[in-house]
Amino acid sequence: MAVGTPSRALRPYTCSSCARSLKLRSRKFATAASPDIYDVVCVGGGPTGLSLLTALRSSKATSHLRLALVESQDLDRARKWDLPPDQYSNRASSLTPSSQFFLSKIGAWPHVDTSRVQPYHHMRVWDGLSSTARIAFDSPAPEPAIAHMTENQNLTRALLARLESLEPITIFDKTSVANINLGSQPSSPASEDTSLDLSSYPHVTLSSDHTVATRLLVGADGINGPVRTFAGIRTRGWDYDRHGVVATLRLPSDFSHDPGNSRGVTAYQRFLPTGPIALLALPGSYASLVWTATSTQAAKLKSLSTEDFLAMVNAAFRLSVVDLDYMFALSSGQFDELQWRESVSSSTSKEASGDIPQAVEGVQNNSIASFPLRLRHASSYTTHRTALVGDAAHTIHPLAGQGLNMGLGDSRSLASAIEYAVIHGADIGNEMNCLDKYNSEMWMGNNRMLGAVDKLHWLYSVKNGPVIPLRGLGLRAVDALGEWGVKRWVMRQAGAL
Amino acid sequence: MANFSATKRLLSLPASARAAFLAPTRAFSVLKRPFPNYEGHVPLNVFERGALAAGSAVMSLLNPRRGDLIAALGETTATPYFIYRLRDAMLSNPTGRRILRDRPRITSRTMSVEKLRALPDNSVGRAYVGWLDGEGVSPDTRDSVKYIDNEECAYVMQRYRESHDFYHAITGLPVFVEGEVALKAFEFANTLLPMTGLSLFAVTRMKPAERSRFWQTYLPWAISNGLKSKEVINVYWEEELERDVADLRAELGLERPPDLRETRKTLREQRKAAKEEKEKISGLTSGKPFVGS
Ligand SMILES: Cc1cc2nc3c(=O)[nH]c(=O)nc-3n(C[C@H](O)[C@H](O)[C@H](O)COP(=O)(O)OP(=O)(O)OC[C@H]3O[C@@H](n4cnc5c(N)ncnc54)[C@H](O)[C@@H]3O)c2cc1C
Repeated sequence: MAVGTPSRALRPYTCSSCARSLKLRSRKFATAASPDIYDVVCVGGGPTGLSLLTALRSSKATSHLRLALVESQDLDRARKWDLPPDQYSNRASSLTPSSQFFLSKIGAWPHVDTSRVQPYHHMRVWDGLSSTARIAFDSPAPEPAIAHMTENQNLTRALLARLESLEPITIFDKTSVANINLGSQPSSPASEDTSLDLSSYPHVTLSSDHTVATRLLVGADGINGPVRTFAGIRTRGWDYDRHGVVATLRLPSDFSHDPGNSRGVTAYQRFLPTGPIALLALPGSYASLVWTATSTQAAKLKSLSTEDFLAMVNAAFRLSVVDLDYMFALSSGQFDELQWRESVSSSTSKEASGDIPQAVEGVQNNSIASFPLRLRHASSYTTHRTALVGDAAHTIHPLAGQGLNMGLGDSRSLASAIEYAVIHGADIGNEMNCLDKYNSEMWMGNNRMLGAVDKLHWLYSVKNGPVIPLRGLGLRAVDALGEWGVKRWVMRQAGAL
Repeated sequence: MANFSATKRLLSLPASARAAFLAPTRAFSVLKRPFPNYEGHVPLNVFERGALAAGSAVMSLLNPRRGDLIAALGETTATPYFIYRLRDAMLSNPTGRRILRDRPRITSRTMSVEKLRALPDNSVGRAYVGWLDGEGVSPDTRDSVKYIDNEECAYVMQRYRESHDFYHAITGLPVFVEGEVALKAFEFANTLLPMTGLSLFAVTRMKPAERSRFWQTYLPWAISNGLKSKEVINVYWEEELERDVADLRAELGLERPPDLRETRKTLREQRKAAKEEKEKISGLTSGKPFVGS
């Protein structure tokens, strides 16, 4: 356990009305006599939590803060993560230019193994029901890439490496949160007491029985983390009754995403009535799959033989929805069905023009997995002395590849609000003087993104009726208006989309 | 007005150029016709397709014996939507898919009429051949599809056409106009092919008694059975030849329509009886001259 420098900046601050309202919300009080006191305790060492801590450590103004990280997983596994060049993790995300800029600014990007990162400059998105409706995004090579496909573990390892190259922070890993309470009331009247009044400080009791008190508690603990529950922040949202099926796939070995290819590296996404299927390039001849499917379909995909699974993936980019529905109903024989349909109407010319991806040839062992898809948005990201970031604050449908990018955006914003408060001598746990800045900077924008992606999901799950030609028209219109900057705007809004 | 002069300019162009202007998706001049997609395929542009549809509709109403015109009408109105719907209905069904894979053809070469005659009376094959014999037609009396661009859809159209005689066989509807129209109404509800619906114009050529029978009995039968039964295009007839007709009808969820021949016969007998009655009465009256007029 590494312990950072004790804080100079630790000053008690609670306005009287806040203290009263806190008492009204009266939670159980911790009993530990003298807890460890920190400026920031971050629960959750995923990409969001790590990037926040790294941002705080790498800025001059906040580098001295006493920071602690609580993470239930073994971080050694993240540090030592290493895969051979012919294997890729099935969890890869497309990092937008602004995420990449932030990671460079906090000094983490140089620690990313860029031989495992794949930038892409082109995107093809189309509608599975109205075959002519498609949209092309192109940002050819001298221009910056649309996004960089990066394995989440490559990023996590880089963040840890960067964080640990700076002034050490306290790390409690393989440790989960047992409970979170407010501190006990001071025994003597606060006015004349020289000791710290910790009654408004969250006290985090760890599974090791150790208790830490903190001026600001950050929840970077994912969708089901304990911090939001402690803060009493309500969340709204629903489950999509959809699963995201992921896998690491292999393209023909003579195929590479070299910009020397006729088009260059392209991300593909086709909207099927259950949700989109996306194939995102990884280095070499590898690619990452994210397929939004119903739970029945996800279970079916996972049960198929390799040959039939690959046939389903290839079919999903090539065949009609009628064929796909039929093939989903079969228990085996998808490969044979695909071969027959391709013999009736071949897709080789579309493949050659780069309108659809090359047919995948292999899937990495044990890389097929699925995750339930959900939408959640916290009604607020902050209360007194607590802030939520990343998936703890918002969980989004992966169709636009935004979840991780939004989490990094939160970290950037919260770190700069803390920096501002420290420079101006304000309490970093105070809503008005610090946290509101973060909440107001991020909540609206994130809410808009969540709403837009949710509407896209519903728009494309419509199977019949007048919506289909209309949405086709919409897609074609956006495509046609490319020269007018509309496409640029969409690209900027969605980053990856 | 800009629009107006544009229209005038368009109208002053030769027809083929006009069509090319109006239909950029299939813009080709008659001189540069694209290659056929399958044997016998005649690629048409949008204008030609429309003209052929309208022309064949008018001509086939005037001359219902022109089967080639009816065929052309069927093909030109089936695209771009309806034939795809029928193809998709086949692709959604295991047997339909098998038919599309095998692409069987029903001709006198593939269907041995002699073998069919040897089947039991209640079998599908026997009913079919009985029907062919009764109407004096052969499996080869069907035209080949020419005007449907998609090669697979062209087969679907061909299959529909070649299966048509089996529909007669399992419903028992005869080939004369009244039965044909009732069957067309059934096919329309079942396949949604527009031509089958257009054929209903033939109702106008029926006798009043036939027409009222059509509206009151056959049309309701056709629509309800066409909609509620399974897609008949997905029947692999070649495999059902030995099957009991009633059994197959039950599987498809099809009720047998009132027997048109029987109905007609009964009606004819009733009419004859009534006439004889009338004649008897008039004979009586005429045979008994009024006395004292
Ligand atoms: C199928 C799929 C595809 C996706 N694709 C993309 C994409 O292309 N681009 C993109 O930007 N995003 C994508 N995402 C979303 C992205 O993966 C998440 O948004 C991102 O991982 C969230 O990071 P986080 O750090 O906020 O939360 P998490 O990664 O969930 O981290 C939370 C951490 O908190 C820890 N924790 C939880 N509870 C406790 C506790 N009680 N005590 C201690 N520790 C605790 C956990 O161990 C974990 O390490 C995708 C998601 C899915 C499901």
